[in-house]
Amino acid sequence: MFRAGSRRTHDKGPAAEALRLVKVTKTYGAHDSAVTALDGVTLGLGRGTFTAVMGPSGSGKTTLLHCAAGLDRPDSGIVRVDGTELTGGGEAELTKFRRGRIGFVFQQYNLLQTLTVAQNTVLPLKLAGQRVDRRRAKEVLTSVGLGDRLGHRPGQLSGGQRQRVAIARALVTEPRVIFADEPTGALDTRSARDVLRLLQQAVRLHGRTVVMVTHDPVAASYADSVLFLADGQLAGRLDAPTADAVAERLAHLGDHVATGV
Amino acid sequence: MFLLAMRSIRHRPGRFLATLLSSFLGAAIIMTFNSMHDTAARDGVDPTSAETLSTAAGVVGGYGTLLVFFAVASTLTVNVRQRAAELELLRCSGATPAQLKRMVVGEAVVVALVGAALAIGPAMLGGQALLEVFQDSGQVAESVDHSFGPIALMTGIDITLLASAGAAFLAVRRATRGHERRGGARKFLAYAALLSGAASVSATFVFSATDAALMAPPAYGAILLSVGFALMAPRLLEGVLDRLPLSGASGWLAVRNLRERAGQLAGILMSLILFTAVATATLTMQAVESDAVEASGLTKSIDAKNLETLNFTVVGIIVVFVCVMLVNSLYAATSYRAREFGQQRLAGATPGQVLGTVGAETLILTVTGVLFGMVAALAGIVPFTLVRTDGVLPGEAYGIGAAVAAIAAAVTLGTSLVTARRMLRTPAVGAVAVAS
Repeated sequence: MFRAGSRRTHDKGPAAEALRLVKVTKTYGAHDSAVTALDGVTLGLGRGTFTAVMGPSGSGKTTLLHCAAGLDRPDSGIVRVDGTELTGGGEAELTKFRRGRIGFVFQQYNLLQTLTVAQNTVLPLKLAGQRVDRRRAKEVLTSVGLGDRLGHRPGQLSGGQRQRVAIARALVTEPRVIFADEPTGALDTRSARDVLRLLQQAVRLHGRTVVMVTHDPVAASYADSVLFLADGQLAGRLDAPTADAVAERLAHLGDHVATGV
Repeated sequence: MFLLAMRSIRHRPGRFLATLLSSFLGAAIIMTFNSMHDTAARDGVDPTSAETLSTAAGVVGGYGTLLVFFAVASTLTVNVRQRAAELELLRCSGATPAQLKRMVVGEAVVVALVGAALAIGPAMLGGQALLEVFQDSGQVAESVDHSFGPIALMTGIDITLLASAGAAFLAVRRATRGHERRGGARKFLAYAALLSGAASVSATFVFSATDAALMAPPAYGAILLSVGFALMAPRLLEGVLDRLPLSGASGWLAVRNLRERAGQLAGILMSLILFTAVATATLTMQAVESDAVEASGLTKSIDAKNLETLNFTVVGIIVVFVCVMLVNSLYAATSYRAREFGQQRLAGATPGQVLGTVGAETLILTVTGVLFGMVAALAGIVPFTLVRTDGVLPGEAYGIGAAVAAIAAAVTLGTSLVTARRMLRTPAVGAVAVAS
């Protein structure tokens, strides 16, 4: 199903480029009320990088994340994760493609209420039919500071703790790329900082690649670089960002697009 | 708060459809049978006809009412549980628990009234048809006219209202109190139902083999026992779960989900147990009765044959009713889980695995429900057979039991899998974004 021979490339070891998008286009709605969410986006992200995607509401950043993560199919263009191209096929095939390659962290955590912290963490392994290494799961949970909360339910945890469970769940399958959609959107500043540091650690210590969509310049400043998106097109890039520089750039994003930068 | 209740009904009619359907069907059945009381009370009805009508209304109407009460209550409980998020939102917006209670109970009362009002027409026709069946079998004089009077109307409306308002009140009290557990009253009711069921079943032995009302005590007993089991459903379910060696991701998830949701699934398990018990017990007893008449050497009289048809009609109506309730509450409970399914898919579950989990959950639920339904049914069948024929377990029990179990499995698995499939059509990201 996948042109590059799916599993085999995955097992050989990571590709140099963790994520590659070529002329990705996505339009929602019928012809009259059609909205172009992504308009020919081309980008490449190296392995072991932490990238923030920023832009005003409706700039297409969430669509970009969904298309890149195989949650949504682009109308045209190529998406390649860890060297393997994401092609058509049913949801089952997309799901199998995502397993082991992609981890998610969402604003609304999306933990299953019926499972404990430990069970939520190992769920992706269970679903993928892999052996569940409980010790490893405990290690990961301890590394996010929840080693003493294994038997709790998500309902008994604070927002920050839930998000850390979500990060542990994303880490435990050792994916090539972790996509984070506004991971700090529902958190207080202190919990947000913890979460962002954990994402940073995933990149620095474990060599994961993290792509984070956010509208918060402070959150974006934890990334190695920031990609700006406006009206479905890339509108610049900022390396080694500071919160102020990001905010400044964001404020003038409209100007850049108008002048064609 | 009442205005809010009205508005919430007007803007989301779909949400109340399940409740409306159950109160409509419930009221229709109660009114149909109880209109026999009205008919019997008319001037100029001869005593034999009146007695037949009153017996039918009393026996069938009696346990029909019991069934309707529990079915309406279970649908409403599912409905209120699903609105936990909305109620929480209202509570955060400054609604007091009393206001929430007024809103939910108000809605339930309005929906029940509408359902009961809609049921009047069909119940008149149904009562007419039922009377004709009695007249055709010669048990009621042809001269008797059907009457739909105060008894039918009052019982129909009152019982539907009482079941709806009571269930809504209990459910919302539970919802606004948070997760505090209060098993005392439930446990008491469960034991009370089991004890009175056992007493009713034992009462079978007081009757002689040829008593016309012989079938009533074991039938009531079986239903009461199944109500008792249904009230203990969460604990029974946990007992079954503890003995299950399930492997695979779907099975693993199914067992964990069921364990967590055991309390919420009680309503569905209740319908399932009632369905199995009522269908198996009444159909088997009727078969035993027919055999006994045949074995007594007499050729089956026209009357006995007609009585058999009548019994099957009545049982059929009630079984179909419970079956509709089962589909109703299963559909409501499954469609509520769209978000959870989305979360499973985002965690790496293929649509097939989600369906596998739902299938495994439903199968465990069905097996548990059928198992305890059968126990309740047997508790009624065995005494009846002992008194009527000297046998212990009639041969028909196996065939009827197997058929009932097959129908229960087909209905539950069919409903939940078809519903879950429909829920899976929404993309996973969209499904988790829906504010439920």
